[in-house]
Amino acid sequence: MQTISAVFAYTLKEHVRHKAWLSSALFGLVLLGGSLIVSALGQDERARLMLDLGLAAIEVIALVGIVFLTVNLILQEVESRAIFLILTHPVRRADYLLGRFLGTVAAVALGMAGMALMHAAFLSLYGWWEPGRYAAALGCMLGKTAVMGALSLLLSIALTSEAAAMAFAVFLWTLGHFSSEMRFLADRSGSAFLKTAIVAFSHAAPDFARFNYRDFWHQTAPGGDWLAWTAVYALAYTAACLTLAVQLFEQKEF
Amino acid sequence: MALRRLALMAALLAAALHAGSRMRRLHEPRFPRLAELKVGPFAFQDAALAAAGLRAPAADLAWIELLQYSAGGMPELVDRPGHPYEHLATLSLRVTRLDPSMHRAVLFAAGILAWFRGVERPDEAAELLEEGMRRFPEQPLYALYLAAIAYQRRGEADRMIVLLESSFDRPETPSTMRTILANLRQSRGEYREALALWERIRSDERDRSEHARARIKIAELRTLLGSPPHDAQR
Repeated sequence: MQTISAVFAYTLKEHVRHKAWLSSALFGLVLLGGSLIVSALGQDERARLMLDLGLAAIEVIALVGIVFLTVNLILQEVESRAIFLILTHPVRRADYLLGRFLGTVAAVALGMAGMALMHAAFLSLYGWWEPGRYAAALGCMLGKTAVMGALSLLLSIALTSEAAAMAFAVFLWTLGHFSSEMRFLADRSGSAFLKTAIVAFSHAAPDFARFNYRDFWHQTAPGGDWLAWTAVYALAYTAACLTLAVQLFEQKEF
Repeated sequence: MALRRLALMAALLAAALHAGSRMRRLHEPRFPRLAELKVGPFAFQDAALAAAGLRAPAADLAWIELLQYSAGGMPELVDRPGHPYEHLATLSLRVTRLDPSMHRAVLFAAGILAWFRGVERPDEAAELLEEGMRRFPEQPLYALYLAAIAYQRRGEADRMIVLLESSFDRPETPSTMRTILANLRQSRGEYREALALWERIRSDERDRSEHARARIKIAELRTLLGSPPHDAQR
């Protein structure tokens, strides 16, 4: 546990000092400002536009940040051979990987929190103030980011190529938003084999569409029990990906 | 060690699948299938945003494009001569198919199609409202507008206006619909009622986009009523 927290603190500091993190946070603020300007065109729906576009900007920046940071997390250290130095110390590979992952998620969450604070301040200036629902939407976005981070880390260790890992991560992100479409296709399919294959695939792929609380709260917002199950889903899926990533990382020979 | 880890991973994946099925059982978002989105000049934009999990922002951008079109500023969609607002219903359906909770698009377009002078295509408006109602039955204004269109078809204009005015202060009523109502009153020679409606529009912050027009209309109606237009100059 001590090792994990030491690696966590070092990773968090490293990311926050990194230019990529700072520029993505700045770009996020610019994007947020842009969404506020665009919302002025929405006439009667200005508050809704400010809310939706701002949250979308935060999520997109968080996605780009987590994919970029986690894909490079281990690969860069392997390339620069810094990993040899770390692994010569009495550090378990599982602890090292977990600390690195948690530190990265914390850095991205920190960026998200900064952007969300600014966004919420603007929204409250325009009379929109629903902190409970806003926090729930942010929580779902963080869950999505954590799952995506674990998947990207797994891909980077399995594929050992930054470009391939990033391409697959973006592919999985898109696929994760098609889970209900895939189940619909399965229902329409005449072949039992195809139906089973599509349903199995749609369940195995991360169901990112389910995390879109910010998208469907305009309809009927789901309750607290739904949020609890969403947290279970995010934690279990992230942990499953990390377990596999640890297994692959331990088998690797540097 | 490897087997233990694989077993742990399988258990975690099973927990995730169970949680996923519980989430589905507890809440099913009502977004129409992507196949229901029509091919048009914005198909790529809509598909890309929906694929990125941004249905509500996609509907928001579609709403801005709908407003742009209705203001006459969209070169991709030009109306044929004699067919004003030809693409309005299609653009409004696009918004509601991206996100059915964006009901203002349907109400806005239905208001223009049914009651705008020189447009008056209530059948198209009714079709639009029926689809809106099918997709988002909780919105009471769809049924109210449909009833108002029914009165219009039967020539019962008084009842139609009273019914529409009952929704004047509802937050979902688009500003455009409020101005349509005021103009309807004026076209029937009911200047005092029209003036009262324009004054309500001018005093409401929500109708900020219509304030300049309201000031002009108030001055015009005051002149018609024979009272000094000083108040409208504020």
